[in-house]
Amino acid sequence: MMEIKPVSMDTSAYEKKVHLIGRVTLITGLLLTFLLPINLWLKFGILPPFKGLLNAFVSITSLMIPVSLVEILTFSTMMGASAMYIAYLTGNITNIKMPSAIIAMEVAEVEPSSKEGEIVSGIAMAGSVLACEIIIVLGVLLSVPLSVKLNNPVIQPAFQQILPALFGSLGAYYFLKDWKLSIIPLIIAILLSKFTKLPTAITIPICVFTSILVARVLYKKGLVE
Amino acid sequence: MNYYLTVANSYIFYFCGVLLFSLIALQAVLYIRLNYQEGLKIGLTKSQMSKALRSAAVNSIVPSLSIVVAFLAMVPVLGIPIPWIRLSFLGSAPYELMAAGIGAKAMGVNGLGGNGYTAEVFANSVWTMCLGSIWAIFMVSCFLGIIKKRYAKVGREDPRWRNTFVNAAFVGVFSIFIADPVSSGGLPLATLISGAVLMTGFAILIARFRTSWLKEFALTFSMLGAMLMSILLAKYFA
Repeated sequence: MMEIKPVSMDTSAYEKKVHLIGRVTLITGLLLTFLLPINLWLKFGILPPFKGLLNAFVSITSLMIPVSLVEILTFSTMMGASAMYIAYLTGNITNIKMPSAIIAMEVAEVEPSSKEGEIVSGIAMAGSVLACEIIIVLGVLLSVPLSVKLNNPVIQPAFQQILPALFGSLGAYYFLKDWKLSIIPLIIAILLSKFTKLPTAITIPICVFTSILVARVLYKKGLVE
Repeated sequence: MNYYLTVANSYIFYFCGVLLFSLIALQAVLYIRLNYQEGLKIGLTKSQMSKALRSAAVNSIVPSLSIVVAFLAMVPVLGIPIPWIRLSFLGSAPYELMAAGIGAKAMGVNGLGGNGYTAEVFANSVWTMCLGSIWAIFMVSCFLGIIKKRYAKVGREDPRWRNTFVNAAFVGVFSIFIADPVSSGGLPLATLISGAVLMTGFAILIARFRTSWLKEFALTFSMLGAMLMSILLAKYFA
């Protein structure tokens, strides 16, 4: 039986605000980014021929509709609504925002799927975005001296290996948390990566689906909490 | 310098970047405030939430360097402000490069920035990068409310399973990123293993000495350590 909690009136006011802020900022952001091609057109008179534009539009659309749909359905199971709006305004979701939100929930000692987790992940995503934007702006301001420094062959490997460094650390975190959940998805992912050249838009859903299926079996058997 | 690059570096685009940056900062601040207030109402403590904010910010610094690296790689082809804006707005380096490539290809030009990459081809790249992000924004803005309601229904029936479900979904996403270095081997694999070993070490320290402050920084420390290891190990994989 579903129980009706008295707090539900209150939470819906919160949720309304979350969706309002999210919708307004996302759509404003979309309009702002279109200032780029529109300025090229109106201020500098540079406009691609209609045929080229249409051609590109059809290609990118046929790719992005299924990719976006699958990603949104997958990610919205894991993140609260405010975290989703932040993630979709700024991007770099799997490589920066999700990992830092997960550690933040661990630090605050809340479960990702609870209401507390929803709030903490929203705060964490916002903190992650602020840090990330500041780093990017510093990168923009220092782009000339930085590109010289980063081309130094001695330190080059460190910057090429940022992702393996991140996912090695995060992988250990999940393995220590519950190795039974991680072992089969990991094997599937390695096989996919080794023997196919499928894009992540396909491999991520495959692995998420397998992982959930494995978890369901383990859960039914009482092998995971 | 190509004519289109002079245009691409025009001050007007920096101005657009500043506008977008302000919007992102505003959204973050609004959500921090709203979630703080709601958190206090449902019994979270100030220190819990501040710790979450701090640790998320700190742990984002090192991974953000990968965006700076991608940004620097795009500058010679697309100028400074446009990669900055595109990487800050629903951006990721692989998407932007792919979209810019599709835009060029639609005009019959292969590759970015080479011969034949005229101002018009460049404009087509920029249009394509922007057009591609319409769909995700549209779907999240219109349907997230409905999707969330649906999922919440499932969660109420069995909260314990929902927890395992979410953890399993995370494991699924991350296993893809762990798999790539494993299957490629070499320096990426060595770095991955270094990160895993260091994180395990930190986990042991945290458990043994109950150093909860270390929890906040363990990810950053083990990433930096793994990156340092990649510098030291690079000569063996050259």
